[in-house]
Amino acid sequence: MINMYTFRRWWDLYGLRIGLVTIALSVAWLIRETNGLPVLEAYRWMAQSIQAAPSDADVIETARIQELQSQLQEMQQQNKQLRTLLDYPALSAEENVLAPVIGRSTDQWWHQILLAQGSSVGIEVGDVVGSVGGLVGRVTHVTPNTSRVLLLTDPASQVGATVSRSRAMGYLRGQAGDLAVMVLFDKVPDIRPGDAVTTSHLSHLFPAGIPIGTVRSIDLAKSPAPEALIEISSPISRLEWVVVHPNPKLIPSAAANETTDRSSAGMLNGDP
Amino acid sequence: METLSPSLRRVLDWMVTVTSVVICALVLPIRFAGIELLGTGPNWFLIWVVAWSLKRSPLQGALAGLCLGFIQDGMSMAQPTHALGLALAGVLTARLQKQRYIQEDFISVAMIVFAMAVIVETTMAIQFSIQYLLDAVPKSYPLLTRTWLYHQQIALSSAILSSLWAPAIYYPLNRWWRLSQATE
Repeated sequence: MINMYTFRRWWDLYGLRIGLVTIALSVAWLIRETNGLPVLEAYRWMAQSIQAAPSDADVIETARIQELQSQLQEMQQQNKQLRTLLDYPALSAEENVLAPVIGRSTDQWWHQILLAQGSSVGIEVGDVVGSVGGLVGRVTHVTPNTSRVLLLTDPASQVGATVSRSRAMGYLRGQAGDLAVMVLFDKVPDIRPGDAVTTSHLSHLFPAGIPIGTVRSIDLAKSPAPEALIEISSPISRLEWVVVHPNPKLIPSAAANETTDRSSAGMLNGDP
Repeated sequence: METLSPSLRRVLDWMVTVTSVVICALVLPIRFAGIELLGTGPNWFLIWVVAWSLKRSPLQGALAGLCLGFIQDGMSMAQPTHALGLALAGVLTARLQKQRYIQEDFISVAMIVFAMAVIVETTMAIQFSIQYLLDAVPKSYPLLTRTWLYHQQIALSSAILSSLWAPAIYYPLNRWWRLSQATE
């Protein structure tokens, strides 16, 4: 009886507190397990309602984009025929999604952007994200109306890359800022400052031939492999709109593993 | 405050606390001039945890750190977890002998936040290193050196920004908690 009584008193004292702590912890865990779904959706709603109406400059820019797009269509038509000859995995232009960038990474270690479009318009984990200038990154998490993109500049991001002119191979490693380091496979690679760099066909996360940037400088003495400093051509730190392409290299089962197995940060964009 | 019944007051207290966490979470992805240094922003959750733990027990600090860490995990990447560093920051802040060494003003709070930011980022760097070592990736050695080079940059910019922005969270929250304690 005394035990019962002391328990009652103890419960009267701490019961509410324990209950509240349990609720707080389980809500936090739920947010973690749903990849921040409620918070990100709320953030998107807030960001969308704050976002101003398009200004004159935007209208002009849109017109210019349309002009460039029509030029691009022409080029794409030509390119399509050439690509079928070369058997490149094609990016199907019909399923591209245009998405505004509404947020940046929520911690210091990861370089991410938050887009205001998600699985409700067909964005999937592993989709390729590009912008004016070329590749930007890869979708790593989606909620119904937002998606998170791991940027090329993230130090954990590694992408198989090739030099367009000489086909010299290597992989691109993110560096903070708008720069990346390309580690070359050859000891004496054929590479010059100003060369264009694209994704290579050895990359299993990105389709081949997406422009990445240009070579700024080369360090042949670097051990164990020569390295080149690459200037990423899309303005990653000032992105406002991006295009999300479905990834033709994506195998559904591999994508599922990718979302659950995040044990190795170095392998996140683990190319080559 | 005095006119409210105790239970209603408690509910109001919790609502204010939860709302402040939600505001911190919604501010996290925003970047504008003055909030960004070397591509990183202030660690709003850390400021909140420090403000919360200053006048509470180490256990309360740890629980708050865990909760906010889990939320941040959901919003960025879940591995390595942010909860460990924030819980540690909560415990350490609560255990500081504040009456003896530190006064309760903005400068002291900014200094505590600065130190805790360094601890939080170091915890993250240690977790990254352990993961690289356990995974036994052949490239682990250069990755390890890069992690610690990167850590210096992150720890410094995060500590500076968080301590500068600390009063923005600490001042209103501290006022509210003091008010609610006074009426109790």
